[in-house]
Amino acid sequence: MTKPLEVLLLDDEPIVGRRLKPALDKIGCRVEVFQSPTEAAARIDEKEFDIVVTDIRMEEMDGIQVLEHVQKTWPRTKVIMITGYAKVDLAREAMGKGVFDFIAKPFKPADLRRIIFRAAEALGSPIDSSLLNDEPVAQ
Amino acid sequence: MSILEKLKKISHKEPGIRQFCIQTIRFKKFLENARALLDLFNDGREKALGEYIFDRHYVVSLIDRVIERLGMMVYDASVLVPKNGETLYAMYDKHKLAASNLINFSASGNGGVKSGSDASEISLSAEPEYQLLSDVLRWFDGKEVPADTTVMDFVKQTFFYVIQFDAIGGFESSDSMQNRNLFENSDVLSSDMGIYLVDLWKDALELPEASRSVRDFNSVPLRHLLMDVGGREATGPKKDSNGIPWVAAVSEYQLSLSTLKPDCRFRLETLASGYEQSDFIFIFADKSAGLDSILPAGFHVESTDYGQLAWNLDVSAKTIEDSLMIIGRKLFN
Repeated sequence: MTKPLEVLLLDDEPIVGRRLKPALDKIGCRVEVFQSPTEAAARIDEKEFDIVVTDIRMEEMDGIQVLEHVQKTWPRTKVIMITGYAKVDLAREAMGKGVFDFIAKPFKPADLRRIIFRAAEALGSPIDSSLLNDEPVAQ
Repeated sequence: MSILEKLKKISHKEPGIRQFCIQTIRFKKFLENARALLDLFNDGREKALGEYIFDRHYVVSLIDRVIERLGMMVYDASVLVPKNGETLYAMYDKHKLAASNLINFSASGNGGVKSGSDASEISLSAEPEYQLLSDVLRWFDGKEVPADTTVMDFVKQTFFYVIQFDAIGGFESSDSMQNRNLFENSDVLSSDMGIYLVDLWKDALELPEASRSVRDFNSVPLRHLLMDVGGREATGPKKDSNGIPWVAAVSEYQLSLSTLKPDCRFRLETLASGYEQSDFIFIFADKSAGLDSILPAGFHVESTDYGQLAWNLDVSAKTIEDSLMIIGRKLFN
């Protein structure tokens, strides 16, 4: 059995974690959800995640700082940024710093799953592509 | 001719046609803003279906964009119908307050999910962001809310203030003889059909010096509207007992067709640029105009106490062209 993909999901809006976690669980990811960037950074110090998905705009620490922290601590980890509204400058800066990809809100879980699928391939731990069906997360 | 001479000519000899062109172009802006509002409503409805991940920022941004666009529409309406400006802005202020209340109510934590809830136990409708979006959609166009409180009610009300005024020449629509005189005195009658033809850009700057015909106009929608009615007066728009009953204001991709008949209101606006996202056909007509017998399939039609509104948005160039040919045939043959 293949090792599950370890994913850290960071967004200060609780709805994002609540709705994305089940969507990523379905494709075999093991997801830890954080709303506080400092708590997430502390967890990153403790554990090497395969993928970090982070919002770009947060109060205590923005997505660029999270990206830098991840790259300093675990260079192999792929970072995916969730961007909000009119954050082009931040997104451009993140691109220059080696972010794996971006996804803009609002988005469908399947859109993020496709990016995670590519990140997993880049890491040499591919996900079964049959799991990438576009299923709504509505309950 | 120098610019000064042109301006003198415009200001002294024919301010009416220029005013008519400006009003027609402003009416198009008004329609564009109304359309943008419909697009925002649709965007919100799509996100509420449950497939999308969004946060509070999205909903707040949606509210802000609706208020901004509504303000642009109210501005256009106030330019077109200055006498209703005060009323319209008072109504707009009420909607700004409603928007602000929606945002503040949700920010105060009302309707939120209790902390510690298990994600798997939370239904979509209990999510505070979905609740807020649901409230916003009710404000947009809720069926169960009191009459005249939704944004859509306000949009319709604004429409009728504008439509009742009728932008032809900037005169009240009831004064049709004055309208006819304006066009009659401006030498804009087509030589090959019974229709007044106004070039929206050229005629606003300079009076026509030579007689004109439909063939002289490089206008995609006009060409299609009249394609099946031939190039002769016998088969095209005809003069009636009151004189010429139609006026078409055109540019390369725009057409604004209105009737000058004293007992009837009909107005068609279209943009046929080939760019699907912006092209449209919009029609307003009195109930007596029998829109149902004129329209091809695919139109959204709303009947109201004032008359009928019909529109077709996001359509291909071919659909627009085919629709105009059918409408032209039904109107003029």
